[in-house]
Amino acid sequence: MISHFDVDAFYASVEIRDNPTLRGKPVAVAGSSRRAVVLTASYEARPFGVKSAVPLYKALQACPQLVVVPPNMQKYRDVSREIFRIFESRGHKVQGLSMDEAFVDLGSVSPEEAARLAQTIRDEILTAVGLTVSAGVATGKMVAKILSDSCKPNGLHMLRPGEEAAFLAPRPVGRLWGVGPKTQTRLQERGITTIGDVAALPDDQCKAIFGSWGLELRELARGNDTRPVEADRETKSISTEETFEYDVRDQRRLREVLREQAIELAQKLEREGLCACTIGIKIKRSDFTIVARQTNLAEPTAEARRIYYAAVHCLRRADLSNKAVRLLGTRVASLIVGEPRQQSLF
Amino acid sequence: MKFTCNTKDISGAVGAASKVVNAHTTVPILSNVLLTAEEGKISVRATDLELTLQHAFPAQVAEGGSVTIPAKLFSSYLGNLQAGLLELTGTPTRASVKCERSNYDFHALPADEYPPLPAAQRGQNFKLAGKRFREGVNATIFAASSEEARGAVLMGTLLELEGDSLTMVATDGYRLARYQTTLESGVSGAERYIVPSRALSEASRNLGGTESVEVAALGAQSNQLAFGAGDTSIVVRLVDGQYPNYGQVIPAKFDRSITVNTASLISSLRRAELVAGDRASMVKLAVSNQTLIVTASSDVSGNAYEELEVEQTGEDLTIAFNARYLVEILNHIDSAQTVLEFLGPLSPAAIRPVEPPEGAQQLYVLMPLRQ
Repeated sequence: MISHFDVDAFYASVEIRDNPTLRGKPVAVAGSSRRAVVLTASYEARPFGVKSAVPLYKALQACPQLVVVPPNMQKYRDVSREIFRIFESRGHKVQGLSMDEAFVDLGSVSPEEAARLAQTIRDEILTAVGLTVSAGVATGKMVAKILSDSCKPNGLHMLRPGEEAAFLAPRPVGRLWGVGPKTQTRLQERGITTIGDVAALPDDQCKAIFGSWGLELRELARGNDTRPVEADRETKSISTEETFEYDVRDQRRLREVLREQAIELAQKLEREGLCACTIGIKIKRSDFTIVARQTNLAEPTAEARRIYYAAVHCLRRADLSNKAVRLLGTRVASLIVGEPRQQSLF
Repeated sequence: MKFTCNTKDISGAVGAASKVVNAHTTVPILSNVLLTAEEGKISVRATDLELTLQHAFPAQVAEGGSVTIPAKLFSSYLGNLQAGLLELTGTPTRASVKCERSNYDFHALPADEYPPLPAAQRGQNFKLAGKRFREGVNATIFAASSEEARGAVLMGTLLELEGDSLTMVATDGYRLARYQTTLESGVSGAERYIVPSRALSEASRNLGGTESVEVAALGAQSNQLAFGAGDTSIVVRLVDGQYPNYGQVIPAKFDRSITVNTASLISSLRRAELVAGDRASMVKLAVSNQTLIVTASSDVSGNAYEELEVEQTGEDLTIAFNARYLVEILNHIDSAQTVLEFLGPLSPAAIRPVEPPEGAQQLYVLMPLRQ
């Protein structure tokens, strides 16, 4: 049995936990820049349409009494580490999806036993960290996730083996793993609106609509989700980006940002013991078009200086079409495990 | 010059001096030892310009004067003599040796071309027990850098004096050794000298067995140090430079520690290192439940797992070290039990003997490996 855990309104809950005067009020965690978006909203704010990714000014229009708290990422990371320690404390395989979300493989136990285990983990997190977590328990990852989403906040749902297909059938096709808004629109044009519709597709149609992964997707729709919980998912790339408060044209300023990002990425690589073979940059121009450039290095590196030089090289080759830059980001990829490095005293 | 002496005396003096001679010198006279005869004694001197060793022994001097003889050759010849008496007659170009029924003529170089002794202007001086000197040198110099690329300062060992306390420090930037002891007679105020480690090792070898060693700063800028005991003196040119602020890399406090049997830890590490191969000789030390688990692995050789009983204080910890560095440090600890202190997996660790040498303190700091 697999359980999906998701902390309820993670950032906002941490802030409310640390400042009880916020309890019961609509709270949003968001930056302070002109273009800030809501990172997390408390459940009290959600009826006003205030939720993740909503621009802050819109959120404030919809909910003038909204309390806006600046994010404290270091604190969230620390809390997240605590939570993951609890997930891992029983030796179960844990696949982290983000700071506040994970799949835990509870092993070959009865559904009741799995639900009991999931409840114990929820209790422990509430006691140790002071946050409520919602959990979904099922035979497969996708159903477990849908279950935990449907019982938020502070809920636990379990689905017995064999009931998956019936549970999924009436749900919108967008809830299927890998079906995004674009595919969803295309499917609706063909009259496929629910997961049950996908489950009922004959082979040929399935392949015609979804291509090579059609049959796999239909298995998922039928509740046959055999994908294992993969512990320690390898880091494939690390990136960082900055949206400017005001669009930037000055090349010197852009290089400065790349330098800061190179330092940040070098520290992250160092921390993970990784070296990068590919360095890339991403630019969003003032007209919202995106340009990306990347370059491969002869020798893998974790050094800020070399990441910076490669990023500047990419910047020179990027066609800005005489537009100002709205967002600039750096990415390191093709990561390999670095040799252990002797650290210096001085 | 002309003198008669004991073969054993001259053999010992020339043998010690010949170790100072640089075999690859391009200045011919620096390959030679200088013998000077005066009033009942012979002085033997050798130098590589950085280090000068002088040793005296008693002789029957018939005629005073000096001669220089190729060091390695002369030393090997003397080493093959039986115990007995030897007569040496020197001229600027030749040294003739008579011993029992053998007669040898060695080519010599004019003694007046030999580099003069360093200026005799003496500055601060101090004195310490020969045993402490040997102990301190032995406990520290191995940690100094052997890479010329890293500069002469790190290849040296710092002698830090304050009143009657001596602190010796050596580091190559990854590990650090510190030895502290009390002097028999100290300096006024404070002094810092960076001594080339090789010179210290030479001084320790020649003087470490004596009762007490006198050390004096020489020259107007105190840029040389003379170590002396009895009939032997060693003059060393000091390293000019700024020694790193070593005090700031020694953590003031640690929050966890283990106490472990030194010999058992050394043998576990040596075995585990065999498997670690060339991945920076990485061994992992995991401390938990009063147990130390040493592991190492490589794709080529396999896995190593070693369990040791320890006395643990503080939280559990896993930390990785270069096994070679750790073993080298432990090899210099003369105590049945060793304490290892930690702050975290990426912070410097301290290693020290549970029973330090009498009248001294010994400490090592080692940086872990980042995996």
